Amino acid sequence: MDTAMDRVVSWFARLVFVFLYIPIVALVVYSFNASEVSYRFTGLTTHWYGELFHDERLLETLRTSAVVGLLAGLAATAIGFLTSFALVRFRVKGRAFFLGAILIPLIVPEIVLGVSLLSVFSSAGIPNGLLTLVLGHIVITLPLATLVQMGAMAALDPSLSEAATDLGATGWITFRRVLFPLLRPSVLAAFLLSFTTSFSNIVISTFTSGVGTTTLPLRIYSTLKTGLTPEMNALGTLLVLFTLLVILVVGVQQMRRILASTN
Amino acid sequence: MSMATASTPATAPASAPGAVAGKGPRSRESLFGYLLLLPAVAVIVLLVIVPVALIARESFALSDPLLGGNVGGFTWDNYTKLLDPVYAKTMTYSLAMAALNAVVCLVVGYAVAFYIATRPASRQPVLLMLVIIPFLTDFLVRTFAWITLLGRGGPYVKIANLLGIDASSLVPSQFAVIMSLLYAFLPVAVFPIYASMRAIDPSLREAAADLGAGWWQTHRRVYIPLSASGIGSSVMLTFVPTLGVFVIPVLLGGGKDPLVGNLIVTLFTEFRNEPLGAAMSMVVLVLMLLSVAVVAGALRLLTNRKAA
Repeated sequence: MDTAMDRVVSWFARLVFVFLYIPIVALVVYSFNASEVSYRFTGLTTHWYGELFHDERLLETLRTSAVVGLLAGLAATAIGFLTSFALVRFRVKGRAFFLGAILIPLIVPEIVLGVSLLSVFSSAGIPNGLLTLVLGHIVITLPLATLVQMGAMAALDPSLSEAATDLGATGWITFRRVLFPLLRPSVLAAFLLSFTTSFSNIVISTFTSGVGTTTLPLRIYSTLKTGLTPEMNALGTLLVLFTLLVILVVGVQQMRRILASTN
Repeated sequence: MSMATASTPATAPASAPGAVAGKGPRSRESLFGYLLLLPAVAVIVLLVIVPVALIARESFALSDPLLGGNVGGFTWDNYTKLLDPVYAKTMTYSLAMAALNAVVCLVVGYAVAFYIATRPASRQPVLLMLVIIPFLTDFLVRTFAWITLLGRGGPYVKIANLLGIDASSLVPSQFAVIMSLLYAFLPVAVFPIYASMRAIDPSLREAAADLGAGWWQTHRRVYIPLSASGIGSSVMLTFVPTLGVFVIPVLLGGGKDPLVGNLIVTLFTEFRNEPLGAAMSMVVLVLMLLSVAVVAGALRLLTNRKAA
């Protein structure tokens, strides 16, 4: 029943899928290019990957990004957990209002959030550094962490905690032995999503990073301003790999959860 | 991955641990609920609402002509300054670019969403995953990959030369900016449309065909109205963020045609004219609110038309 036009749309969509992966494939291929200049392909090498590990300044920013991602990710996941627990399992008046408030950072343009944070930190006399970076990243990761965990909590079977209560478990025991183990995959997914969001953030970091706390994306950006180097392609490839790894972990966890919930 | 289909779960009856029917525990329970919300409320109030209010205030402040910075006071000057051709040009250019990007993303995103939504149910998650992977890939990486693709001696130039077209590097160029904007925002455009299309009963398509509706009519009378909310979200999620982008115009456009985002960053970090930068940020915020209102209004019109 597909008309000719349907076929055209289908082919167009397939082409778009190709379009989505051309840049990523090109990036990977060029990262192994032995030539110093991108417009000659003179063979394969892993030289650029080695160069990356000797770039002290780059490694420094990598450490900063990892620390900020870890701290912001943990904080956003924990706060998001409490929030989703309150919104899903408690009778709270004004649920829609609270949820709306928590989603504000998703709607407000990030650049506005960035300059606002810069302004508030300088008014409060807090110098830009690790603390301001972490706080800024908590703002943008909190909505994501909350949404992911809300979805998982809403999917929980309420009879499970009832059963635990019937069997004499107190509130805390029910939470620790029944609810939390079931929610663990979504907690991990929320953390990984928050971590990657923080790790790749540019806009907020531009306004909240200080001297000596440059993040990896900011370093990449300033390097690219002077021109694309083969090391950057290698670094980009590693970042793509990292993304795939995260998706794999979250994906497997989600699959497990789906399988567990059908049993 | 409930980013695209963020649906609020229905309120299940609160069966909190240790809940007993009756008034006392129930009210204590909800009090505990508010307690759990405290950290999030603190983050939103202290790190979003207060800062944005500060910026709103700062946009009316005076700036020291020599040293820059914020010296207090109250003036409308920052807003009138934005009408100055220098800034107004950037503003109109940004709006045009954001609108163009939103339209291109919408058309391409709609086609991809329709394609995914009309595949067999078993294949849909895989196809959606293929859209999610680039979306989760680092924004900068997605941007600089285009430097390789379109730059000097890159695949684009090589292929063009093979075909006998005399091409040189496309970086920096307007085209490179448009391409990488589309690439950056396309996944975001696909998710909401797909989410609203998934709910459309496939038999409607058959019914439309049986009733003699052509391809265009099927979309105009069935698919577009039923996925209107997704289309609205998609436009919102591409139009507003494009205004704030500052990496792409620099890396792929050579910084010749800055977007509002570039201007805000420059005003804050280089010119130290915070009040003017604040005024510009407020304009972006108001544009965001306006586009929300326009999209919501358009949706209401559509649903009313359907009801009529």
